[in-house]
Amino acid sequence: MTAQVPVIRLEEISKAFGEVQANSNITLDIHQGRVLALVGENGAGKSTLMSILAGQLQPDSGTIRLKGAPVAFSNTDKAIASGIGMVYQHFKLVDAMTVAENVFLGKSDGLWLRHGAMNREVAELARSYGMSVRPEAVVGELSMGERQQVEILKLLHRRSSILIFDEPTAVLTPRESEELFATIRRMIEQGKAIVFISHKLEEVRALADDIAILKRGQIIDQLEAAQVTSSADLARRMVGRAVLLEVERPPVEPRQVVLKVSNLRAQGLEQADFELRQGEVLGIVGVAGNGQKPLVETICGLSPPREGHIRILGQEWKRFFSRQAWEQTLSYIPEDRQGLATCQGLSLLDNFLLTTRGGFVRGPWLQRRQAGIKADGLIRDFDIRPPDPEALAWQLSGGNLQKMVLAREFYRKPRLIVAEQPTQGLDIAAAEDVWNLLMKAREQAGILLVTGDLSEALALSDRIGVMYDGTLVSTFSRDDQEQVERIPQMMAGLKDS
Amino acid sequence: MTLEMIIPLLAAAIVAGTPILYATLGEILTEKSGVLNLGVEGIMIVGSLTGFLVAYSSGSPWLAFAAAGLAGGITASLHGLVCLIFQGNQVVSGLALTILGTGFANYFGTSYVGLSAPGFQPYPIPWLADLPILGPILFQHDPLVYLTYLIPPCMWLFLNNSRYGLGIRAVGEYPEAATAAGLSVAVHRWWGIMGGGFLMGLGGAYLSLAYTHLWTNNLTAGRGWIAVALVIFAFWRPGRAVFGAYLFGGIMALQMRLQASGTQLPSSLLLMLPYGLTVVVLVLSSLGRGRTGEPAALGVNIEPAD
Repeated sequence: MTAQVPVIRLEEISKAFGEVQANSNITLDIHQGRVLALVGENGAGKSTLMSILAGQLQPDSGTIRLKGAPVAFSNTDKAIASGIGMVYQHFKLVDAMTVAENVFLGKSDGLWLRHGAMNREVAELARSYGMSVRPEAVVGELSMGERQQVEILKLLHRRSSILIFDEPTAVLTPRESEELFATIRRMIEQGKAIVFISHKLEEVRALADDIAILKRGQIIDQLEAAQVTSSADLARRMVGRAVLLEVERPPVEPRQVVLKVSNLRAQGLEQADFELRQGEVLGIVGVAGNGQKPLVETICGLSPPREGHIRILGQEWKRFFSRQAWEQTLSYIPEDRQGLATCQGLSLLDNFLLTTRGGFVRGPWLQRRQAGIKADGLIRDFDIRPPDPEALAWQLSGGNLQKMVLAREFYRKPRLIVAEQPTQGLDIAAAEDVWNLLMKAREQAGILLVTGDLSEALALSDRIGVMYDGTLVSTFSRDDQEQVERIPQMMAGLKDS
Repeated sequence: MTLEMIIPLLAAAIVAGTPILYATLGEILTEKSGVLNLGVEGIMIVGSLTGFLVAYSSGSPWLAFAAAGLAGGITASLHGLVCLIFQGNQVVSGLALTILGTGFANYFGTSYVGLSAPGFQPYPIPWLADLPILGPILFQHDPLVYLTYLIPPCMWLFLNNSRYGLGIRAVGEYPEAATAAGLSVAVHRWWGIMGGGFLMGLGGAYLSLAYTHLWTNNLTAGRGWIAVALVIFAFWRPGRAVFGAYLFGGIMALQMRLQASGTQLPSSLLLMLPYGLTVVVLVLSSLGRGRTGEPAALGVNIEPAD
């Protein structure tokens, strides 16, 4: 580590929420001109620690030292005044206003706004850090990457010298991520200090100078990035055991066709053609935004096909969705666990009944008691915590909520499963649970797995399909080594290499 | 129709539209800050009575006008108390305010029914009043009408080009962003509610000080509700509010003219016209595509961070 005085020193920070010790006695240095990566599983305490530094939360005990002098941030304004700013996962921007208005919100002097001068100043700032966003653009019309640039511009405009990024690439395309990294490198050249929370180990290795690994509220390892030999090495340090992306895949003989998509076109989808059999996993990979979402939404009945045909379990699309049974049918496991899959304010039991209610009706009445017994059993089988059917969905962590969704959907004995980014945002232990559950379900169902994670697709799938620019470019067996190696080229739209 | 008939009709439309315009602008200001105030009708009638009483006892119309605005602001502050301090439901609070205001005005106003007070008289603006066509339509009214020629552009400038306007729009669109930028949501919403209530009170006072110089019960006659609908018609823009208010004023004036001309149509049907138009306007504006300018956080209460 460098010898100079750290610009920020966190000393023995502790923070508890109820009985959960989110941070216990954490001591951490942040240096000027260096990127510090905070890694660890979900719930390890990374976000809590950084929220304390940004003034959002107050520590129960411990000291923050700014250039050696103790400081206390009772709110975010005080932290920002000391040069500490955080780019949150959920952007705090006013959609109806322009980029420049957002940057100057609450920070302009005088009575009147001078739009011309504001735009010039923001443009200048953006250019000096290599950002492409236009100051006069309305935020509501920008991509996620551009919105993130606005958040960064807000902090730079406030002369922040310590910038904290909370999983900044979670919402970005790979290209946008590259742009973000270039911007971060410029900030480092200018002598700013960066803290970077991430799940993606490759990114951490590419960007970080220092790495701190958190587990259960404590720092279990601190090292320089140069000491890490590979992503697998980092993963091993993180979880304390080697992560084998080798999921147990009992061989299953593919049976009848459960999904047949021919010459499909829809809004945002140019061409898709494939078959899926029971007992088979088809992994759809590709850079996000290349038509995966419309493909899934059309197959799952959320939006109509424009041209071509979809046959689900032998029935035409329209007929299938006009009278859908509740069991032995199609199960959709959406990417948006909080929004599409569950109602946040309802209990686990009510969420369970959302799709399985067909099995618990007598006349107009719901048989809640029977449903409660079943839900209780599933919660125990799937090890969902808290193990209480009356717990509300928002009280569950992402991993537990996903297990709850899987438990519910598998209870319907589906014959076709569409799983969209099923392990996104989960820690590795929770992801492994999900993989094993999917593999078990494969014995009864055909699974369409849409994922951005190539290693996940390779580990689970029997066949792989690559999407680029709204088109399902090709499908092939996972054992076809030659094709598998060409996946990155196909994802980038290169026909021949 | 001849020009001789159209010009007086348009002039009457402006007079009839003016109280609605004051109230609509007030509601726009309030809603821009993210607060829905359905108490416009009640606030207007309180302003109307206050204006009448102050004019009746002091003899000064301008003092009465200002007092009516203050009374509107104070009445609206009840809405602020419920919504901003106690986090109450904005719809319920607004409806209660309308019922409260109407009852208040009926109770304290009954003994004054039929009495008259000194009010504003038409004051033709030199030169401008002599312009052909435009002069009689626009510039032969009382000073309160001329005031409404100035308020919409000032309000537009304030909302779009001043930093306080930026703050009010921000708390109406995304209060979390405003908080993160160090702006107080509560303070900006208080300004939206009080400023809006002030304008609504002025609109009420126009009815008792300029439109008539008499006090009768139920003087506002649903104009507050029309204002609420007009805000949507106006897409929350002061400029479009002018157009909408005069359109309604025109319908009201036309309705009176038709009655006076002894038409065979039943009068109750004619009296329905403006409210029927309200429904039509709401349906039409809901068909409008794309961005309407509706504040994203309209009607959403924000818990103060402690």
